[in-house]
Amino acid sequence: MRTIRLYPRLLGAHFRSLLEYEADFLILAAATVLMQVVNIVFLSALFAKVPVINGWTFWSVVTMFGAVALAEGVGSLFFDGMWNLAWQINRGELDYYLVRPYPVVLQSSSAAIGINGLSNIVTGGLMIGAGLAHSAIDWTPWRVALGVLLLISSVVIKVSINLGTNAACFWLSSPSPMFAFAMHQVGDLARFPLSIYPIALKAVLGVVLPFAFISFFPIASLLETGTSRWVGLLTPVIAAYCAGLAAFIFRRGLRRYESAGN
Amino acid sequence: MPIVEARGLTKVFRRADKGSGLAGSVKHLFARRYQDKVAVDHVDLSIEAGEAVAYVGPNGAGKSTTVKLLSGILVPTSGEVRIDGLHPQRDRMTVAHRIGVLFGQRTQLWWDLPVSESLAVLRDIYGVDHATYRKRLARFDEVLELGEILPVMGRKLSLGQRMRADLAAALVHGPRVVYLDEPTIGLDLAVKDRVREFFRGLRDEGTTVMLTSHDLADIEGFCRRLVIIDEGRIIFDGDLEAVKDRFARERILHVETTRPVPLETLRSSLPGAEVTLEETPLRYAVRFDRFAMTAGQAVTVLATLTDLADFRVDEPSIEDVIRRVYSGDLVLDDTGVPR
Repeated sequence: MRTIRLYPRLLGAHFRSLLEYEADFLILAAATVLMQVVNIVFLSALFAKVPVINGWTFWSVVTMFGAVALAEGVGSLFFDGMWNLAWQINRGELDYYLVRPYPVVLQSSSAAIGINGLSNIVTGGLMIGAGLAHSAIDWTPWRVALGVLLLISSVVIKVSINLGTNAACFWLSSPSPMFAFAMHQVGDLARFPLSIYPIALKAVLGVVLPFAFISFFPIASLLETGTSRWVGLLTPVIAAYCAGLAAFIFRRGLRRYESAGN
Repeated sequence: MPIVEARGLTKVFRRADKGSGLAGSVKHLFARRYQDKVAVDHVDLSIEAGEAVAYVGPNGAGKSTTVKLLSGILVPTSGEVRIDGLHPQRDRMTVAHRIGVLFGQRTQLWWDLPVSESLAVLRDIYGVDHATYRKRLARFDEVLELGEILPVMGRKLSLGQRMRADLAAALVHGPRVVYLDEPTIGLDLAVKDRVREFFRGLRDEGTTVMLTSHDLADIEGFCRRLVIIDEGRIIFDGDLEAVKDRFARERILHVETTRPVPLETLRSSLPGAEVTLEETPLRYAVRFDRFAMTAGQAVTVLATLTDLADFRVDEPSIEDVIRRVYSGDLVLDDTGVPR
């Protein structure tokens, strides 16, 4: 409990310094909103030509995009420090983390705030809202609960992939998060319905790096769209698996940590 | 039971052997070659609660690596560490409350926060209650004069200010064991003195302190126990005063006489001492073993031969002794006896 209470304290410590760079803050926020606007423009152009892709309508794909934006937004707003892990390892900054009575992974992830996450969360939320409003599902309490559970799981998966791929730096000994960033780029493919891809790519996005469980599968379940509706119900299980695996990779990596200056 | 205990502590670093330049790096991609470097080699160390231990050695001897092993930052390749009987990795959280670590070369302050805020964040991480925190801060302030630097951003601190703030940061939770790795590096003399005074205060309160330093003035007057490490091995572990008694027993008496005295006369009246002329006339240097003769006796003998205008006794510092050990001039075995 103390662990959870302390997290906003650690993260919040950076908040004040963030506001010092007001222009930076505004530009980043505007850029993120702009990016999502571009996404929507692109989607509407696409769907003007093809009204339905493998059973997916414009609004259901907007919902998927929203889920990705939400997951990424939470990842940057609350856990952006993970992207500094390579740097933290290389500079030996984990030394002090390791002698403090607080989980090392949380000290690392709270080391920075990605304020662009805030606009991602807002736009992502709006996209999900709009997408769901245009869908024909009837909202039983059970479905609302399912929706919330699926979205939480989706966020957990994204953050876990961020952690797992960044923790690869314990082995790669590179001072930049290039590997994790490359994996993140691969994840962009999962913005679209998985069913349009060849089987190999499906396997990568569904199993190896389960980006498809951030948006495609859970949204398919929630909206009852596409052919593989039941798979999305596994999202919480996949989330637990990803979180466990990422934590395991991080812990193993930490044992390899060699500090700096030797 | 010792509060810090290491048995057979060994750390081997594996370094990629890349050869030089881009060609070497490319070659390494295909044929990986590694070199093992033994940084710490079967170190046995046992520190009792309340002890102040100086841990010295030349550059690259393995001092910092030992500190990182003893604080649980690094996992040993072999051997083990116990702090208060606890395993530093398995019981990391509990151990963290009991130890404080300062790396002089690196700060733990948040660079984008004022010092006061960094300390407050640490207070919350360690769960120190506000009353205790205020009391500690006030005490740090007495010696370290923290007041003036509390509102300063981490990134705007001078080196001396940073070190003072970092000392407070390392001790905010009142640890029982404190590792100080090069805590005076780069500081000017005034700040050094203040920091050293602070260490003495810590020691007097019964905190166990392990101090790693290049600057041997840090340890003189602070530690009773001296551990010397070289090439990853402990080459001496014993009483600082005993080392001085054993290896720093030579004294040099510098005298100035009012008129010239033949060297032979001086030599015959001071058997066992070595008398030489110094550069300026009327000045002589008398080297003697402090256990064979006291400085007072030497002066008395000289005073019967001539009038002394001035005299002064030089005593070698522990620095000289350790320097001789580093250079291989003096080989000590485990008991501190030269081989």
